Amino acid sequence: MGELFVVGMSWRTAPVAIREKLAFREEEVPGVVSHLVAQPGVQEALLISTCNRVEVYGVGDAAEPSARATRAFLMAQRSLPPSELGNALYQHHGPQAVRHVFRVASALDSLVVGEAQILGQLKSAYGVAGQVGATGPTLARCLERAFGVAKRVRSETSIARGAANVSSVAVELATRVFGDLSGKSVLVVGAGKMSTLAARHLRSAGTERIVVTNRSPQRAEELAAKIDGVAAPWEDLTAQLAAADVVISSTGAREPVLTVPIFKKVTKARRWKPMMIVDIAVPRDADPAIGELDGVYLFDIDDLDKVVQANLAERAKAAEHGARIVEHEAVQFEGWLRGQEVVPTIRALRDQCSHVAEAETQKLLEAMSRRAYSPEERAQAMHHLTQLIVRKILHLPTTVLRSSEGETLQHRVEAVTAMFGLTVPLAAPAADLPGAAPGAQGAADSARALASLDDELEAEVAADLAAEERSPLARVASGGAARNERRFREA
Amino acid sequence: MTPQVLVSLLMSAVGSAAGAFAVEQARVLSVSPSPAFWVAVTLYAASAACFLLVASGRLQLRALALGLCAAAALAHAVDIGWRGTMRVHPAQSVREALGFLAFMLAAGYLLASLRYRLSLAGVVLMPLVLGLLLVARLTPAGEDSLGLTALGRVHISLATIGVATFALASALSVIYLMEDRTLKKKRFDTVSFREKGAPLEALDRTMHRLVWFGFPVFTAALILGLVWGSERGAGWDRPEYPLAFVTWGAFASLLVTRTAYGWRGRRSAWLTLLGFAAALLVLLVYLARRVGS
Repeated sequence: MGELFVVGMSWRTAPVAIREKLAFREEEVPGVVSHLVAQPGVQEALLISTCNRVEVYGVGDAAEPSARATRAFLMAQRSLPPSELGNALYQHHGPQAVRHVFRVASALDSLVVGEAQILGQLKSAYGVAGQVGATGPTLARCLERAFGVAKRVRSETSIARGAANVSSVAVELATRVFGDLSGKSVLVVGAGKMSTLAARHLRSAGTERIVVTNRSPQRAEELAAKIDGVAAPWEDLTAQLAAADVVISSTGAREPVLTVPIFKKVTKARRWKPMMIVDIAVPRDADPAIGELDGVYLFDIDDLDKVVQANLAERAKAAEHGARIVEHEAVQFEGWLRGQEVVPTIRALRDQCSHVAEAETQKLLEAMSRRAYSPEERAQAMHHLTQLIVRKILHLPTTVLRSSEGETLQHRVEAVTAMFGLTVPLAAPAADLPGAAPGAQGAADSARALASLDDELEAEVAADLAAEERSPLARVASGGAARNERRFREA
Repeated sequence: MTPQVLVSLLMSAVGSAAGAFAVEQARVLSVSPSPAFWVAVTLYAASAACFLLVASGRLQLRALALGLCAAAALAHAVDIGWRGTMRVHPAQSVREALGFLAFMLAAGYLLASLRYRLSLAGVVLMPLVLGLLLVARLTPAGEDSLGLTALGRVHISLATIGVATFALASALSVIYLMEDRTLKKKRFDTVSFREKGAPLEALDRTMHRLVWFGFPVFTAALILGLVWGSERGAGWDRPEYPLAFVTWGAFASLLVTRTAYGWRGRRSAWLTLLGFAAALLVLLVYLARRVGS
């Protein structure tokens, strides 16, 4: 079972000038991913490349070397020297990697916190990696959990609520006034870049008609073509205003274009049907006084910005809550991972023990088939069999325990005591020994004393084992011992 | 005016009225309320409290407040049904009609909530419903209810339906005015902005439809009331007559100005509130007369 790692760069660590050098086109990704999993030590991998991040989520035999290999691989892909990437590339291993993936999926790591796009991108990256066979159980489990976490964060916090940019705020405010925007018409006054963006947002929110008017008819035509609208002559401004529900104004005029006299006429012509004016020009196009008129809702660039800031503040608060959810889920996921790690060991332990039991029982059955056994003999044989099985199973642990010393011994004694739920009586003589450390030394001595009690039987088992020295059982047993030793040392 | 202030004003008005009537309890006759009535009162009170918390910023309590309101309306319906089996008609008397008005408000509110987020209306309506219910309970039934003619019953039924419609329209007007103010003054950090309530246009449209429905009903009730009054030989100097005509006039001018000049929004909202306030005063006059007689 491998370990998770993350290698990549995001808007946090690299400016776009560096991100764009590493970024992969959509059609490149499958090839890159299949090469990635061919790297030594990399078992599973997926590659996500968006405008704000380029990252590899992988599983390797050991996280650190696998991550380093991935890092080198990425740089080789783009023939980028390490100096170029500087500190832009980061890597996370194990628990940190899990947290990172969860955070990214939940849009906690996004440039605009809570922006939902990343989840879809991550899902498709996962799909692509799956198609080229680069995903395995660990990555699958991690990603699926990440999607679950993202869903939780979205539904349990207000992280994705409230528009986070000026254009969507304009749309949001429009829905506050009109509700459904279908059937509403938009008038764009002046042909600035911002108004194009806002008009596009309104268009995708369902408005029916977009009219563009500008002092220069040519510019009006150009912009109208770009946003799928129609151009209207500047002289018709008042009539166009009366027909519009949403007005986006961004002329370069020094004096207000949308004045109270015009709007008194306009509102009356509209029979006071509500209209919304978004004035994103500086200096402002609209006289602030028109906002006082019945049915006119006027917002300038500062107002929109105020909403953006308020929404972002709300999201930041929600992000803290989201981070707590991620932490909780990451801890749970680690528990699952650990469980997965220990599964092979448990299986080997069970196999080994049942192997011993099986072999001994078989031997006894064979012996018993050779001649008739009296009931007493049979009882004795059974007793002998169970004792033999227990001793054989305990032989190796006992030997390992005896041959160890110092801190290792202390750890092992503690581990054995905990694992078998032993209550070890304090060995009285051990306490009398000069210079004996209490605790470990005492426990070790008592273990030793206990062992010497049945040395005879141990010798018997040892002889038995010696006879089977080259048997597969012995090899399994010694292999197990080596593995156990490693485990203990790690513990 | 913040919703909290509105509500506390309403509550204190209702509270003092209830206190005045409480001393008259000895004169209460007719059928005593079923347990469902008290369940409904408790639930309405709980719902009102929840809505107040929602208005103070705890938006997550919204579902609970609505749930409590629905449960209360259900218990209320059970009570009305049970009284029906005791031969007490919802239009038997002003007192029964008030209880029924409260029920219609709650039910209408719940129906509207299926479509829009109207927590702010709940803040206004729930205490109103609760107050109406308590006032209705604490008012003496009156002796003349025994001699109620068919004409009288129809008058009371229609007036109740008309006023309930106007009450819903006024609740929407209150929200309209609050949301309008929020947008005009750009108060983006207030509950009425964060709550994402019904859009202004929808509020205005619904308000008008309600008035279009309520106005003919109320007009018919008005005429029947006049006929009924003259049958009983009542004089023309009763205070409810001018008040009722203020109500009628407010809604009539609302419809006329809308149709002829396209007035809407704030102006319509204020006219609605004026009309409804006058209608409430009519009811108070009736109640005061009952207590005084």
